[in-house]
Amino acid sequence: MQVFQISAASFQYDGISAIRDLTLNISGGERTVLLGANGSGKSTLLRMLDGLCFPSHGSITAFGDPLTQHSLNNLEFNFNFRRRVGLVFQNPDAQLFNSTVFEEVAYSPLQLGWTREELHRRVEETLEFMGISHLRDRSPYRLSGGEKKRVAIASVIVLNPDVLLLDEPTATLDPRSTSQLVDLIQQWKGSTKTVITATQQLDIVEDIADRVLILKEGSLLADGTPSQILSNTQLLLTTNLIHAHRHTHGNVIHAHPHLHRHSHDEHEH
Amino acid sequence: MHIPDGYLSPASCVTLYGLSSVSWYSALQRIKRNIASRTIPLISVFAAFTFVIMMFNLPLPGGTTGHATGVAIATIVLGPAASIIAVSIALALQALLFGDGGISTLGANTFNMAVVGSLVAYALYHAIAGSSEITSRRRILAAAVAGYLSCNAAALVAGFELGIQPTLYHDPSGAPLYAPYPLRIALPAIMIGHLTIAGLAEAVVTAGIVSYLQRADLGLFNHAQVALPAFPSKGSGASRLWLMVAVLALLTPLGVLAVGKAWGEWSASDFENQQARAEIARTSRQVEPPPTPSGIRKLSGLWTAPFPDYAPAFIKNPIFGYVLSAMFGVGVLASASAAVDRILRRKPKGELES
Amino acid sequence: MRHSIESTLHHFSHALSNALISEKIAARQTLLQKIDVRIRLIGTLLLLIAVVLSHTYRGILVLLAIALCLAILSGVSLFTLAKRVWTVVFLFTAVIAFPALVLTPGPPISSAFGHFQVTETGLRTAILLVLRVETAITITAVLVLSTPWNKLLLATRALGLPAEIVTILGMTHRYIFLLLETASQMFESRKSRTVGILHNADQRSGAGKTAAVLMMKTMDLGNDVYTAMIARGFSGEARILEEPRLRSRDFIALLAFASAAFFCFWIGR
Repeated sequence: MQVFQISAASFQYDGISAIRDLTLNISGGERTVLLGANGSGKSTLLRMLDGLCFPSHGSITAFGDPLTQHSLNNLEFNFNFRRRVGLVFQNPDAQLFNSTVFEEVAYSPLQLGWTREELHRRVEETLEFMGISHLRDRSPYRLSGGEKKRVAIASVIVLNPDVLLLDEPTATLDPRSTSQLVDLIQQWKGSTKTVITATQQLDIVEDIADRVLILKEGSLLADGTPSQILSNTQLLLTTNLIHAHRHTHGNVIHAHPHLHRHSHDEHEH
Repeated sequence: MHIPDGYLSPASCVTLYGLSSVSWYSALQRIKRNIASRTIPLISVFAAFTFVIMMFNLPLPGGTTGHATGVAIATIVLGPAASIIAVSIALALQALLFGDGGISTLGANTFNMAVVGSLVAYALYHAIAGSSEITSRRRILAAAVAGYLSCNAAALVAGFELGIQPTLYHDPSGAPLYAPYPLRIALPAIMIGHLTIAGLAEAVVTAGIVSYLQRADLGLFNHAQVALPAFPSKGSGASRLWLMVAVLALLTPLGVLAVGKAWGEWSASDFENQQARAEIARTSRQVEPPPTPSGIRKLSGLWTAPFPDYAPAFIKNPIFGYVLSAMFGVGVLASASAAVDRILRRKPKGELES
Repeated sequence: MRHSIESTLHHFSHALSNALISEKIAARQTLLQKIDVRIRLIGTLLLLIAVVLSHTYRGILVLLAIALCLAILSGVSLFTLAKRVWTVVFLFTAVIAFPALVLTPGPPISSAFGHFQVTETGLRTAILLVLRVETAITITAVLVLSTPWNKLLLATRALGLPAEIVTILGMTHRYIFLLLETASQMFESRKSRTVGILHNADQRSGAGKTAAVLMMKTMDLGNDVYTAMIARGFSGEARILEEPRLRSRDFIALLAFASAAFFCFWIGR
């Protein structure tokens, strides 16, 4: 089943072309990673997939229906779409705009008109699942980066969406929280959930995706499996995803692209 | 400039809450029609911004430091309607959560700073800036003047409110019950601080931000402005409000039915009549009333004077006077509301609508 | 010259500490704290109205006594009140009330200040003002110090405020702390980059720049929050979580507040 179909889409803002002539199909149950440096258009693409901005040229459909400002003006379509697609933003302070964690997780069900009992039951369930029940009365302002991220994710999965979009989810996290997040995404492997993660962190890609897309300046440069893409060091260099590492041996300067990969055969604990 | 609880009488508080409510209602109608959903987050963050700006301790020419309110810049960037709401929200939070300004006096504070401040800033900014280029120096000047004068206008109104307290509200012995200083002391006391310090702080912040925006982000002037839509038709909300007011106006004569005269509402003839004097003494804890105070004697002729002796008797009847006063009061409220409406409605020349 | 930056930073941290104290006290769950916040809010307002309506000391003193009882029942120690509320307010009000001793016309009672005579009416009005202001602020402070602020703001719904305004109040409160922190950081970085003594004019332009940058960040934040709200299902109509039903103890409390307020109003006429 095609979840998203983007056809020759372009999008500009402030005179800058954020997305250029992009064509892309995403199927249900796929776990995809969007790779790209800052300014490559990853965030814009995710927002387009979430119906938050619309292409000026080309088209985009979601679950077979056209995704436009007009179609979303229909309340029923809007509610249905918002229930099925969830986006975890990069900036937790913009995403967590309610006064307490409980209110935050309850926000979407509340807006979509759930009954009081359903709402409370589901919110408690979700808080429990994400391990943040003890934070329910806290203000988002005073949470740590990892806690904020868990609240943000909770507030999105409370609706049990079919599609989960994650914008640089590990950006503000310490290593431990990062690995917890990776575990969470791995849980959805093999389920019917479609997960699309935008990231620059190459070392988690293999764990969280079966398909990798590379974006540069709004265009799709590559589309393949994690091992295909990650072994293409030339490509990774030109798209600024890895750095050239220099060290000296005596008078000689040695340079090679630097990328940490782990293979599952050499696991150490 | 935040007036705390205890400085204004209940009547003053209620009146000012009334004026503020009318303004809030008008402003909300303006905003809802236009930007709709974007309003909530925009007003919230701007209210938070205003709150933070009020805490800035700004260095001023002459070595002093002062505080600005941010009303003028809020008006310039968001437009007066959104500014009225945003600044009122900031003041409400200051009063409730931080004890800055009283709760009974919140209506007064929002009227002075958010309503008067926004409207004066709006009028002055556009009067001076006219249709000049967004990047011109004239805009900076307009911003500075708008900041300075709107701040002082707010202070003037506040000073007036405080200054009339002792005259209108005192106990039988003449001791003021609320703010203790009459106009001739209160006004200069408040105005000096604002003419020299606070007004300058406001001018500095307003002009400073405008000049920075001219260089850094012109888009802000255009995108954020809450464009002013046409006057909405009298929907159920508005007419219900006026119905309430009309009913209240009609009920005012009931006040005449209250037994005896309300304390303080004596006429000159009461001071001369033995029986009335006894009544006054009784309600004033046995304090003997003075011979007719000159002020009362002068003012007492004011109501009947305009009506020549050949006017029909009912005009001089106090009950008629009551109803007429109520109608006058409602008329004032209505004109105030219409005035606020009109000012908010006027589209500034040369500004793009978002 | 650094004085103004430091003074500003001081204001910021004072505001932040207020919030923290409230959270601590509100966690004590004392007798009064178990009463519904809406009732406590309305009760506080009734008492406040009684304070403002009072014409004599008697009424105000009884209200002050009631306020002190409320403080203890709410878990707010008198020491906290004295430290955070009374001293500051007393100094401020005393300074304002002092000239009234000699400026108010009336029978003189003492020539302690030589040419200026303290009048009986002056004394009465000064005492009345100080008492009234202190009592009013005590009543309010007891409520605010013993209630989680987000619950307090949500309770304003009971006063008949529209849902949009209640939402705005909560959201503003949530973002005040973020902006305070942002502004603090900007000031601190300016302070640390200031070598030597800054001329007043430079200080001014520095403050103007900080304000401008803060405003731009504010607008961006506003736009981001708006987008986040849409993504979570917001369709223009503000919805608030339903509050739990009132219990009999809440109604009893309301009755108690109302009777106390009326009684004080009566004796204070």
